[in-house]
Amino acid sequence: MPAEEGKILAVSSVSKRFGGLLALDSVSFEVQRGEIFSVIGPNGAGKTTLFSCLVGTYPPTAGSVRFRGEELKGLRNDQVVARGLVRTHQIVKPFRDMTVSDNVRVGVLYGRLRLRGAKARERVDEVLSRTQLGHRAQAKAGILSIGELKRLEIARALATGPEVLCLDEVMGGLNPAEIQQAMALVRALRDSGLTILMIEHHVHAVAGLSDRLVVLNFGKKIAEGRPAEALRDPAVVAAYLGDETKEARA
Amino acid sequence: MEKFVVVALNSLLTAGLYATMSYGLAVIYGVMRIINLAHAGLMMLAAYATWALNDRFGLDPFLSIVIVAPAFFLLGMGLYATVIRWLPRSSAGPSMQSLLLLFGVWLVLQNLAYAIWGGDTQSILTPYTMESIPIFGGRFGVPQILVFVVSILSLVGLNLVLRRTYLGKAIRAVTQNRDAAMLSGVNAGQIAAVAFGIGTAFAAMGGSMLSALYAFTPDFGRSFLLKAFCIIVLGGMESFTGVAVGALVLAFIENFASAYTAIPVSYQDAISFTLLVVVLVAAPGGLPGLWRLLDRRVVAR
Amino acid sequence: MTGLLRRHPALLPGVLFAAFLLLAPLFAQRGMLNDLWNMAFFVVLATAWNLLGGFAGQVSLGYSAFVGIGAYTTVLLANAGWSPWLTLPIGAALAAAFSVVVGLPTFRLRGPYFTIATIGVGEAVRVIASGLEFTGGSSGLRMPAGTFDFNANYYAMVVLALLTLALVAWLQRHAFGLGLDAIRQDIDAAEALGVPSTRAKLQAHAISSALVAIAGGLFAVNFQFISPGSVFDFRLSLTIVLMPIVGGMGTMTGPVVGALLFSYLQIKLLASPVLRDSYLFIYGGLLIVVMLFEPKGIVGLWERLIALRPRRQAPPPVGEVRRAS
Repeated sequence: MPAEEGKILAVSSVSKRFGGLLALDSVSFEVQRGEIFSVIGPNGAGKTTLFSCLVGTYPPTAGSVRFRGEELKGLRNDQVVARGLVRTHQIVKPFRDMTVSDNVRVGVLYGRLRLRGAKARERVDEVLSRTQLGHRAQAKAGILSIGELKRLEIARALATGPEVLCLDEVMGGLNPAEIQQAMALVRALRDSGLTILMIEHHVHAVAGLSDRLVVLNFGKKIAEGRPAEALRDPAVVAAYLGDETKEARA
Repeated sequence: MEKFVVVALNSLLTAGLYATMSYGLAVIYGVMRIINLAHAGLMMLAAYATWALNDRFGLDPFLSIVIVAPAFFLLGMGLYATVIRWLPRSSAGPSMQSLLLLFGVWLVLQNLAYAIWGGDTQSILTPYTMESIPIFGGRFGVPQILVFVVSILSLVGLNLVLRRTYLGKAIRAVTQNRDAAMLSGVNAGQIAAVAFGIGTAFAAMGGSMLSALYAFTPDFGRSFLLKAFCIIVLGGMESFTGVAVGALVLAFIENFASAYTAIPVSYQDAISFTLLVVVLVAAPGGLPGLWRLLDRRVVAR
Repeated sequence: MTGLLRRHPALLPGVLFAAFLLLAPLFAQRGMLNDLWNMAFFVVLATAWNLLGGFAGQVSLGYSAFVGIGAYTTVLLANAGWSPWLTLPIGAALAAAFSVVVGLPTFRLRGPYFTIATIGVGEAVRVIASGLEFTGGSSGLRMPAGTFDFNANYYAMVVLALLTLALVAWLQRHAFGLGLDAIRQDIDAAEALGVPSTRAKLQAHAISSALVAIAGGLFAVNFQFISPGSVFDFRLSLTIVLMPIVGGMGTMTGPVVGALLFSYLQIKLLASPVLRDSYLFIYGGLLIVVMLFEPKGIVGLWERLIALRPRRQAPPPVGEVRRAS
């Protein structure tokens, strides 16, 4: 079935319940091919849960996720990656005993591309240079700085050869210079043909990067659209206001 | 109908023993997130200690619990101070390191027993070992009944300690949330030592009682250990009442299986091993997890 | 061959040792050949187990089941007229099949829970094997007459050991090994990158169980008599696990070092009645010491010692800020 022109990811009425807690409540939105699409909202809004449902870490309790027209619900994480949708983790999960190069190699060997031999080595080098980790290739991942670890998360995910890259708070814990670098990287990744889905707290990064976004609060979608409009929506402002005092003290 | 009651009563008696055996494991797991494989070795050692006391001083096995349990409490604390304390704490659940370490301790305990008492099968004979009491048309051995009584007493005692004393509350606090407990002023290290002592003492009680019921060798303990795991997994690994329920369930399944099916007695252990694997895989939250699942289905919005 | 050596000079001692093993029957005494056979047997068990246990990080305490499956398959088929050598692949296939049956439910469990489940499975297998009629029950079975040829046995075991080492090393260096390592370190991250974790674990389990079963079959051929006590024993599962743990899980040399150590220990233990009764002390003590002081085993200890040696400091690459350690 040919992929519909434009729409690459369709999330329809996705809900996720954990015991008594409803983490996601009938969330729906669509992502267009080549977009940078952000998912924002206060802490605990369900953003990471949403990512986990998309990539198959666990299935949604209800609703459907269609990627290039194909239903993803019920597929395992590795099966989803094989189809071209991959995520990074908010709390980085490097393979600490492996070198940076080997970390990336896992994605190259097992991701959608499944490269081997010389082609695999080339791709590892290419990904490392795009994420500016080439000089750390032989370092054990366990000794990297947080900025480098965040780039490693991106590098590994990129290595799988995805069509859609889901970035979970890749700018968390970075200093302003690093944030600029990260924004440039995200733009470069989109310009190379990827569609980007990102969860992000840094509002100016979101405003500067996103084509469109969706706002979640307590598991529900409360706004959707272009950053300029959505961020001015009174409901969105109110949702963040509750969080604002915490952010001001942070 | 009569047979049913007899089997049910037998299950009840067995459940008491199983619960005592398993509480030791549950306390240690709850406080330290450590799976204590040495539990089997400690039960076995206590069985031998009880036998030795009986052999040399003619001390009744049930009375010797008064000596054996406190002695093993101290032994447990000693084990903690010398060996367990140095294990790195892992917040993500029990570690392979602790599992294997305690496995090593178990092996050492086994060898200790072989060295001191040899590999021959031992058993304890008392004036009442062969006596039984007729109830509801079935005959129940006096040792079994005594075991049940002692088990209930020890479990009630443990429950009282857990609910009424500062120590008990501290243990429950650390079990639920170690960091919060420490922030509330609980000395988690001391509590861990005491918990290990309690766990060992209960293992010892289990072992003493087992020595009154069965013959044993230094190798004995493994099947009881696996049963204890089965019970605490069934019970939900973190709930003390769950352990009692798990013990009942296992005891009932075993007794009813041997009474009503053709499964030979020698395969009975295979039942608990299989049940352990099944429960670990199908219901990792144990019975409480299943209950929550049911609860959600029934009370769905 | 020389190309391989040129690329990996560290293999040289191994190659020399292999040559020694293969030529030994020409000059060595029977006693020594027996010891070498034992050593090779242990090398197969430890190295094969390490594929799942060390590289993939799934510690199974139930591997004696596979030794038993291999041994019993060989004896039963040989008694039915088969040539012993032809029984080996059958035993391997049966073991692999059983490993999948066991693995499907248990690989859903993580870390220690998986290990406990394997104890349960191993025990269940032993209990059942002791009770079955056609396996001779607890008294055991004998190989048919005329199936014993020590030279052939020796070469078979040595070749099996070398093949096992070669196969596991090859797997470890290529994609499969990297996938297993990823699973061991962080199974969720591995799956998030496309590693089919359950399938990989099942494959590792199948390969290692097949190798162990072949060793079990050769054991039956060499000792001519087996019983549940000798091949389904928990002690054997224990030894299989201790060798790589003490030697160093997760490396190729670790299991070999462990195998050498334990076959040496076994010789010493069998020779002295005092030590024989203390083998649990020794095994348990080793386990305690390793877990407390150097979880990476002898190989880990060696690496730590090497890292302590003073080295010339190279200046940091241009542009990189030297980080505070």
